[in-house]
Amino acid sequence: MQLTQDLELFPEYTVTQLLFKDVKNATELRKMAVNGEIKGALINPSMVVDAFQILVAANKAVHLHEIGKMKTRSLYSEIIFNLSPTNNISEAFKRFGVSDSDSAVHIVLVHNKEENLNVDDIISKVDGQQIPVDQVSDLMDAAKIKKLYKVAPQEEKCGSLLDAVVCRMATKDVA
Amino acid sequence: MAQSNSLKASVPAYLKEAQLIKQGAEARVYRATFLGRPVVIKERFTKLYRHPEVDEKLTRRRTTQEVRSILRCRRAGINAPVVYFVDYTTHCIFLEDIVQSVSVRDHIASGQTPQHLQALVEKIGEVLAQMHDEDVIHGDLTTSNMLLIPGAEHQHIHLVMIDFGLSYISALPEDKGVDLYVLEKAFLSTHPKTETLFERLLKSYSASSKKSPAVIKKLDEVRLRGRKRSMVG
Repeated sequence: MQLTQDLELFPEYTVTQLLFKDVKNATELRKMAVNGEIKGALINPSMVVDAFQILVAANKAVHLHEIGKMKTRSLYSEIIFNLSPTNNISEAFKRFGVSDSDSAVHIVLVHNKEENLNVDDIISKVDGQQIPVDQVSDLMDAAKIKKLYKVAPQEEKCGSLLDAVVCRMATKDVA
Repeated sequence: MAQSNSLKASVPAYLKEAQLIKQGAEARVYRATFLGRPVVIKERFTKLYRHPEVDEKLTRRRTTQEVRSILRCRRAGINAPVVYFVDYTTHCIFLEDIVQSVSVRDHIASGQTPQHLQALVEKIGEVLAQMHDEDVIHGDLTTSNMLLIPGAEHQHIHLVMIDFGLSYISALPEDKGVDLYVLEKAFLSTHPKTETLFERLLKSYSASSKKSPAVIKKLDEVRLRGRKRSMVG
């Protein structure tokens, strides 16, 4: 169901992703993320092409956190910011974060490998149905993503939409 | 500071476990796994023979130019490896590993039919034309910097350009002509008796590029005088 991946560059860190649909309490969940009850990033799944996209954002966030060069205030907001193709932080939160009217939520947790992560606790807070993370591509809005990331049809000749998105995320600072 | 020590340890420690596949004058190339995927890591190591400030600036510039050129190529539909992560502190670029690929150099050297070679160089000409039309100058065009992905359909030749370390953006026909000249010298010296084949490459380039006449003219000029030799007395 959930997806866990170690960060090879930062062996103490592990990323766990959870995906939910038919969510009825998005507003509450947002509040919980803000006040720290849920220690994770809440992302709008319609903007996620694949779990790998999240991992790339998380890896970059942890890297910048370790060298003290994050652009936002917390690791979780940094993950959301890294997903965005632009350098406008509030725009990133608006587009990639979860809004009150959303019915699907993608939760990203960054934690210590050893830490006994109480995933069930988080699942119980979500009023919705948990689905396997690899189904996130079913929830994506490809047209919206292509528009936001400005992916032209010609670029799809040399790779997938995921390739286009990840490349832009990785090169945002110098493009 | 414990934190900076642990950071300095992370990428180098990771690279120690990785498989070194090439050591050049400019960079080391490794193969490893990153976020569960096979990757190639290009590490531009510190050059002790350079002045430290100059080294840092130059290395950083080369890294960013490489990354920018790759993105620019991909946006135009030219195949280049996807960039997954760039570490500007250690000047490492994490790229997708194009598994099961062979360099065009090795491919030609291993012996191919004339028809296949013709189709191959025509494809190369097409791709270079596309690249130059995007005003991307590769800077180090050799057959070792082109990868071939063995395709299912024999007609479809899948070429991937790599090593954009010396690349830059320029609309000048002179720069594009020099880019082709570098390839010509490298091609003819690496693969004996391929003059006609290279002519075919240039023909394909001319046919595919909208701005080719000026470029070919410059190429002829550069051939006559050699590179970096401005005839200004």
